[in-house]
Amino acid sequence: MKAFNALFKSEFTLSVRDMNIPIFGIIFPVIVAVIIGLVSGTKPAFEGADYTFIEQSFGGFAAIAVCATGLMGLPLQVADYRQKKILKRFMVTPVSPFKLLLVQVLVNLIMSVISLILIYLICALFWGYRPDGSVGTFLLSWLLVLAAMYSIGMMLASVSPNMKTASMLCSLVYFPMLFFSGATIPYEIMPGGAQIAMDFLPLTQGIKLLKTTSLGLPADNTLLSILVLGAVTVVCAIVSLRFFKWE
Amino acid sequence: MTKPLIVKGLTKSYGSVSALEGLELEVEKGEIFGLLGHNGAGKTTGIECMLGIKRPDAGTVLLLGMDPASDRKRLFERVGVQFQETGYHDKIRVSEMCGMTQALYRDPADWRELLSTFGLTGLEKRTVSELSGGERQRLSVLLALIPKPEIVFLDELTTGLDSKARRDVWKYLEKLKAGGLTVLLTSHHMDEVEALCDQILILRRGRTVTRGTVRELVAQSPCETLEEAYLWYSGEEENKSESV
Repeated sequence: MKAFNALFKSEFTLSVRDMNIPIFGIIFPVIVAVIIGLVSGTKPAFEGADYTFIEQSFGGFAAIAVCATGLMGLPLQVADYRQKKILKRFMVTPVSPFKLLLVQVLVNLIMSVISLILIYLICALFWGYRPDGSVGTFLLSWLLVLAAMYSIGMMLASVSPNMKTASMLCSLVYFPMLFFSGATIPYEIMPGGAQIAMDFLPLTQGIKLLKTTSLGLPADNTLLSILVLGAVTVVCAIVSLRFFKWE
Repeated sequence: MTKPLIVKGLTKSYGSVSALEGLELEVEKGEIFGLLGHNGAGKTTGIECMLGIKRPDAGTVLLLGMDPASDRKRLFERVGVQFQETGYHDKIRVSEMCGMTQALYRDPADWRELLSTFGLTGLEKRTVSELSGGERQRLSVLLALIPKPEIVFLDELTTGLDSKARRDVWKYLEKLKAGGLTVLLTSHHMDEVEALCDQILILRRGRTVTRGTVRELVAQSPCETLEEAYLWYSGEEENKSESV
């Protein structure tokens, strides 16, 4: 436990010092929330809707940090530790390098939680946001989206032979997911054809699920989303374990 | 009591390239053992197999009486390792690196004392990347000593150090050796090998060319000094050896 605490303290401090995760996972989603809030916060989501635009968008905001930590923060850190042979060094200590990876997941998870709480507070304080659905169901959906994104991220880290490939792969997956899944640009304002294309991104399904649960909408269309996210989590985890190398 | 390190028939190849063939060695407690050879001769592969990081194709390793692959958690409380290139976390400070390493062990050494021994006091708040090459090298040796090891593996321990710093490291190792520390090291500096090693073994393309004390190896060669003998054994001076 002493080792775990020390590793956690060290990894958390380094993560804050590095500023990548705080910028992309915390500051960026807060800015997106504030901009969308200022532009159309308390307007109804569409004519005749009984929820506001910010209420509709909250599910998307909640996914930005998950996306940033899962598709950039975590995989790049793992690839970096492997390239620098830090994982190898842990192999000759009493503490398994697996524990270091676990600590990394935890640090990224906590950053995502901080981001979620901040966004909630901002939306609640300035635009009167209140979750309409069950908070428990929403959090469960959020965790499922997180599992899917972290699983994709670990797969990217596993299949990359070096840091350069890892950053390229992560950018290729991260940016489309960020902009074309409804996390930042609302899905609803996209033309119909684009929406069909967007539906193929796992995060789009994740955000649909988050919107449904945060708005307390009927759960008609959630089964597909849950299946997609579950399948992505399992498949990517298997690929990641299959190809993972400590050095 | 069993010897701290017993290696038998260690063999490893990468694809069709043989990196190590039938390495045999035993290191006594309190002994400094030098594993020598050119780059690519198999030293690092040997060390990695001894530490259980690489799985050998054949052969056995008994480190402090344990199997390094299956007993790693218990074993590495008592073994220190310095790899040839130590990578560090971005932006990590010296004090954080030492503190984190210390927290991995049950009964670690006081890293502040080690910092002063290795002449690194005052650099605690610096990031590791800001250190000079020599300072970083000393830090990597220091980190290997934090577990208060019974045996320590040092792969090119003084590369990049100036004469004074090298001698300081030697002196400190001699002191630990007097306290019973066993050392397995690799080095390209024959003055260092001569000053430190009780036993040496020279590898050439994965095969053991010769082994013994410095004095024995020089005596068995047509050469006067260890430097020349080393080159003769390790194959650098092939033409010369034929003409002798």
